[in-house]
Amino acid sequence: MTRVIEVPATFDDRSFEQFAAAFGQWPPEEKILLDARGAQWGSPFGLLAMLTAGQALAEARRERPLFTVPTNEDVRRYWARAGFFTYAAELFELHGKLPKVTATGPSDVLLDVTPVRATEDVHEVVEKISQGASRILHGELGLEMKATLRFSMALSEACQNIVEHAGTSGWVAVQAYTFRRRLGRRVVVIAVSDAGIGFRRSLESTHAKRFGDRWGDGAALEAALIQGVSRFRDPGRGQGLAFIKRFLDQWKGKISIRSGTARLAIVPPWDEDVPLSEHLPFFPGAQVQIIIPAQDPETR
Amino acid sequence: MIQTIRIGTLLRETVASPYRNLVTRPTGAAIRNRIQAAIADSDCHTALLDFSDIELLDLSCADEVVAKLLLDGGERGSRFVVLSGLREDQHEAIEHVLTTHRLVVAAMPGGEHPAPRLLGWVTADARTAFALLCERGAQLAGDLAGALGWPAARADAALEALVLHRVVQTDGDRYQPLSIG
Repeated sequence: MTRVIEVPATFDDRSFEQFAAAFGQWPPEEKILLDARGAQWGSPFGLLAMLTAGQALAEARRERPLFTVPTNEDVRRYWARAGFFTYAAELFELHGKLPKVTATGPSDVLLDVTPVRATEDVHEVVEKISQGASRILHGELGLEMKATLRFSMALSEACQNIVEHAGTSGWVAVQAYTFRRRLGRRVVVIAVSDAGIGFRRSLESTHAKRFGDRWGDGAALEAALIQGVSRFRDPGRGQGLAFIKRFLDQWKGKISIRSGTARLAIVPPWDEDVPLSEHLPFFPGAQVQIIIPAQDPETR
Repeated sequence: MIQTIRIGTLLRETVASPYRNLVTRPTGAAIRNRIQAAIADSDCHTALLDFSDIELLDLSCADEVVAKLLLDGGERGSRFVVLSGLREDQHEAIEHVLTTHRLVVAAMPGGEHPAPRLLGWVTADARTAFALLCERGAQLAGDLAGALGWPAARADAALEALVLHRVVQTDGDRYQPLSIG
């Protein structure tokens, strides 16, 4: 038996729930086919979600999943240039015509899909991003120059969460695009995803007790993002997400974290997202998305 | 005597690459170990940590390099630590982690800050007293109290807090900021 998971035509953090639900019980018993033939667009979050699913299946020792590539040539080429197929080929049996394009990255891709396996990868990510971040953040989005360094700092902290807490490797991608429906402005989006143990298991031994019956994926996300706790008792730990949140307040940005069966978002005025969603379909690891919008021209 | 420790040089030696970004906890811990070794090998009373070659300092590294160095008072012995060459975003990162630990360190003038300043957690009185010492030089507690219009006990408490945090020196009578440069 093969379970077919249809990749949403527009695959972003909103349509992700449809994708996650399609897996049913995790890990699924059947062989998996990710059908991306109808895909018209994939956000960095969507691209990483597919890789994370492939990684989680491999780590659960399930049969190598299948992947049918998008029919739309522009979509295929874009995903190829963003580096998606380089890593998808390691995790899936790919079916369909792949464009002969290397991951050079279109101009609005600030960081190709990049694996985060160890500390050295975080150094590489920060080095790579610093080359293009200023052009996009200051030039296009109208953020002050020092925002570039804060942005790199946020990226570094988000990637380190994988190395320090996930118990396995993960992925990061950064892209700029126009948020037509929700905002009508350019945004920069950081997506970070891993197939690891998730926030609840990471924090359980040190924090579950004080939450009592409330403990779960949602409470774990609240503890990490709102209260700034970490599984380490060292008070210097757990500050990364708190710092990111502070910067995002200043930039009217948004952060959302999905882990296990819950999703928590710090919602800026321009968005209508739900702050906390629980009892969602299970998905392995943790998926972080940070959105930084172009600043209002009148306040620049 | 002042011992200047160039963090950029330590970073290049530690990660064996031309990186100027001080990021990740393991990197920060390795740099801190090198700083502690350098301080242990020196007779200087003050270690000046020079960050001028550093581009990005993330929170994890700020915590590992600066906060944990200050927490490890035993290793430092009687040595003072002062920071220099910091940019605004680095100030912020260090301030954030030190406040979390309720620690404080002195930073040399630079960038948007023309005078020495304290980074981290300290009372408003201690901050005011520090600024006055930097402006006027060594002071008796009574003189400082007079200059600020404070009762003697208030000045004593502020100065003792600064001494306790090792951002001000005293010979028992006079209090003075760390003399650098």
